[in-house]
Amino acid sequence: MIGLSHRTADLALREAAALSGDRLDRFYARLSESHPNAEAVAVSTCNRTELYVARPTHEAPSGEALRGMLAETVGVPVERLAAATVQREQEQAAAHLFRVTCGADSLVIGEPEVLGQVKRAYADANERGVVGPVLHKLFQEAIAAARKVRQDTGIDRGRVSVASVAVEFAKGVFEGFAEKTVLAIGGGEVTKAMVRRLLEENARRVLLVNRTADRAQQLATTLGLTGDRGGARPWDDLERLLIESDIVLTGTASSEPILTESMLRRVVKKRRRRPLVLLDVAVPRDVDPAAGSLSNVFLYNLDDLQTVVEQTLSERGDQLASCEAMALEAATACMAEVQHRDVGQLVRELRRRLHDIGNEERARTRRKAHNLSPHDEDAFEQLLNEHTHRVINKILHLPLSQLDARDASRPLGFYAAALRRLFDLDSPQPSRPEQTPAEESQEDEKLSARITR
Amino acid sequence: MPHDLPVTLALVLLTLASAAAAVLALRRLRVKAGRGAEGESSSGESGDADAPVPWVRGLSLGVTLGAAAVLAYRWMRGGTAWQLVAHVDGLLMIGGLLALAAWYVQSRPRLRGLAGFVLVGVAFVLAWAICAAAWTYHPFNLERLDPVWEALHLGGVYLGTISAALAAAAGAMYLFAHRRLKRHKPPLAAGRIASLETLETVIVRCAAMGFVLLTLGLVAGVVVITHAGDGGTRLGEQWWLTPKIILSAGAWTLYAVLMNARRASAFRGSYAAWLAIAALVLLLSVYGVVTAVPGGGVVDPPESVNAVPAAASEGGVR
Repeated sequence: MIGLSHRTADLALREAAALSGDRLDRFYARLSESHPNAEAVAVSTCNRTELYVARPTHEAPSGEALRGMLAETVGVPVERLAAATVQREQEQAAAHLFRVTCGADSLVIGEPEVLGQVKRAYADANERGVVGPVLHKLFQEAIAAARKVRQDTGIDRGRVSVASVAVEFAKGVFEGFAEKTVLAIGGGEVTKAMVRRLLEENARRVLLVNRTADRAQQLATTLGLTGDRGGARPWDDLERLLIESDIVLTGTASSEPILTESMLRRVVKKRRRRPLVLLDVAVPRDVDPAAGSLSNVFLYNLDDLQTVVEQTLSERGDQLASCEAMALEAATACMAEVQHRDVGQLVRELRRRLHDIGNEERARTRRKAHNLSPHDEDAFEQLLNEHTHRVINKILHLPLSQLDARDASRPLGFYAAALRRLFDLDSPQPSRPEQTPAEESQEDEKLSARITR
Repeated sequence: MPHDLPVTLALVLLTLASAAAAVLALRRLRVKAGRGAEGESSSGESGDADAPVPWVRGLSLGVTLGAAAVLAYRWMRGGTAWQLVAHVDGLLMIGGLLALAAWYVQSRPRLRGLAGFVLVGVAFVLAWAICAAAWTYHPFNLERLDPVWEALHLGGVYLGTISAALAAAAGAMYLFAHRRLKRHKPPLAAGRIASLETLETVIVRCAAMGFVLLTLGLVAGVVVITHAGDGGTRLGEQWWLTPKIILSAGAWTLYAVLMNARRASAFRGSYAAWLAIAALVLLLSVYGVVTAVPGGGVVDPPESVNAVPAAASEGGVR
C-alpha cells in the first residue's frame, strides 16, 4: 500500500492527489500496460488516496514506481508526494485496509461513509479488470470484517454532527417531517446544515427569514425553495411565522435574544397547544432560555447538541481499541489464507515445471538409448550420467542465474539466503534410503499436501 | 365454580412473569446518553442496533398463552357454555390480551418502548386477578341475566378496559418522554421511545376504541340493570346515583373528551396523557367497587340483588 491521508497530508495536497474520473482511468490503464500481472485498487476519498497493489514479492512495480506513476497521473511533483505518502507491505498493508474500512482511521472515528467508499473503489477496479485473486480476497474480507466490527463494537452508532443531533431531538417530538413547517432564522453554516438535513427528511415546507431580505432570498434560491416548498419571508412576519411553524432553527449574529419569552408566550397561546421545537445554535443565544419552560415548547441550544456529539465521539473512542484489535485479527487471518493459497499455487507450478523438464529429458534419453546396443553397459552408464547432469543443470539454471552479481538490481543476498534455506545447504545431508520414482513421487505429493493445507 | 389452587398458582406465576418482563423492558429504556439511532450512513451499513429483547418478547407471549390456558381450564371445569363466570375471568382476559399487545408492539420499531408500560399494567391486572380468584371471588349471577345483554355488557366493558389500559400505557410513556425532552436529555435510540406525536396518536386512537366499546358495554349494562324481571331494577330506585354508575359515567366522559383531544386543544399533549391515566383509574375503581362492595355499591339494595342462588358466593355483581 502506498498512500496519503489526513494524517500525513494537508487538504490542498489531498485534493491535488485525488484519483477519480479520468485520472483514475489513466492510472489503471498505465498500470495495466506496464505491469499486466499486478493487481490494484485505488481508494480515493476527501481524506485519503491509497493504492493497494498486489504483485509477487520483489517484483515490479516497486513503491517508488507507484509513487512516480501517481505523481505523473495527478500532476503533483513526486518529491512533494513522497514526503506525504506512507508505504506498507504485506500484513501491515492488509491491517491498514481493514482499519480504514472499519472507520478506525477516519477523521471522525467510526464514520460509516468510508465503508461505502471502499466498496465503490473495489467495484470500480473490478470493472476495469485490474483486480486479481489476492485483492479480491483482501477487499471482500475487509468489507465483511468491517460490518462485523461495526456491529459488535457499535463504533458507528450515534450522531456526530450538530445538524444530525438537532434532527434527532426534533424526532423526539415529531414522528416525521412530511407535514411539518420549518422556519429558519438567519443563514449561518450550522443553520444551513440543519435545513439541509430536514429537507433530506422530507420536511413539507421550509421558510427562511433574515433581517437582510436578499440573503434570505439567496439562500432560498441555493436550496431550491420555491412555491409550496417554502422560500424567503419578510422579517416583519416573524411572529406570524412562528405560529405556523413546527420547528424553528435559529442561528443569527444578534447580540440580544430575538425570540423573547413574552413573544413566545403569545405565540404558544395562538398555537392551540401544538408542540414547537426551537433549535438555537447561536452564540449568544437567539432564544430567551425562559421560553423553554413554556408548555409544549421544546428548546435546545448549542450546548445541548454539542454535548451529545462529544459523548458520541467519546464512546466511539472507547470502542476504538477493540475495533482495531478485531480488524487486526481479521487482517492477519486473511493474509495467512492468501499466503497459504500462494504457496499451494507455487508448489503446483514448480512441480509442473520440473515434470516438464523431466519429461523432456526422458524423451531425449529414450531416443538416444534406442540407438545403443543392449549389451553396451558403458555407453548406457554414460547416457544415464548425461541425463542426470542435463536434468540438474536445467533445474538449477534459473535459480542460479538470479545469483548473477553483475546485475545490481537483483537482491543477491536475499536469493542466496533463500536458496540456502530452501535446500538446507547448511546442514549435513542425512543419508536417504533408496526410493523408487513412484515412492519419491508419493513423498513429494505428501509434502506438497502438507504445505498447501 | 369456586376458586381453586391451581388457578391461583398459575396466576401468581403469570404475574411474576409479566413483572419480570416489565422490569426488563423498562430497564432497556435507560441507555447511555448519546446512543442515537443508526449512524449517519447513506449506505445503511450499521445494522439493527435496537432489536427487541428476546426475553421480553418471550415472556409477553408466555403470559398471553398462560392466561389463555387458565381461561380454558376454568371454562372446562366450570361446565358452562358462557366463559366469563366471575371477575377473575375478565381480568385474565384483559391481562392476556394486554400481554399480546405488549408482544405485538415490540415488532414496531418506534413503539417498542411502549411494551414496558403495557407490561406494568399486565402485572397489575394479573395481581388483581389473584385477589379476585383467592380472596374476593364473586361469581356473576348468571341465572337471572339475559345472556345476550350480559355478553354485550361484559364484552364491551372488558374489551373497552383493554383499550383504556393501552391508552393509559401510552399516556405514561408520553409523560416519560416529555420529561426527558424537557430536561434536554439526549434522544434515545429509535425503537425505544416513540415520538410525542406518535404517543398522542396512540392515546387518541385507543381512547376512541375504548369509548366505543365502553358505550356498548355501559348501554348493555343499563339494560341489564333496568330489566330485573320483576318490574324493579337491580340497583334500586335511584340506580343512577350508585357509585358504580357514577364512576362508570365519569370514565366514559373522560374517554369522550380524550378521543377529541386533537380537536379540543385544551386537552392536547401531556393533558391527554394525564386524562388517559385518570380515566383508567376511574374504570378500575368501578371494578374495585363492584368487587369490594356487596350489591355493587347500592345504598339501599333491594332484596332482589342479594337473592343469589345458593351455589354462588354472596355479593354477586348484579
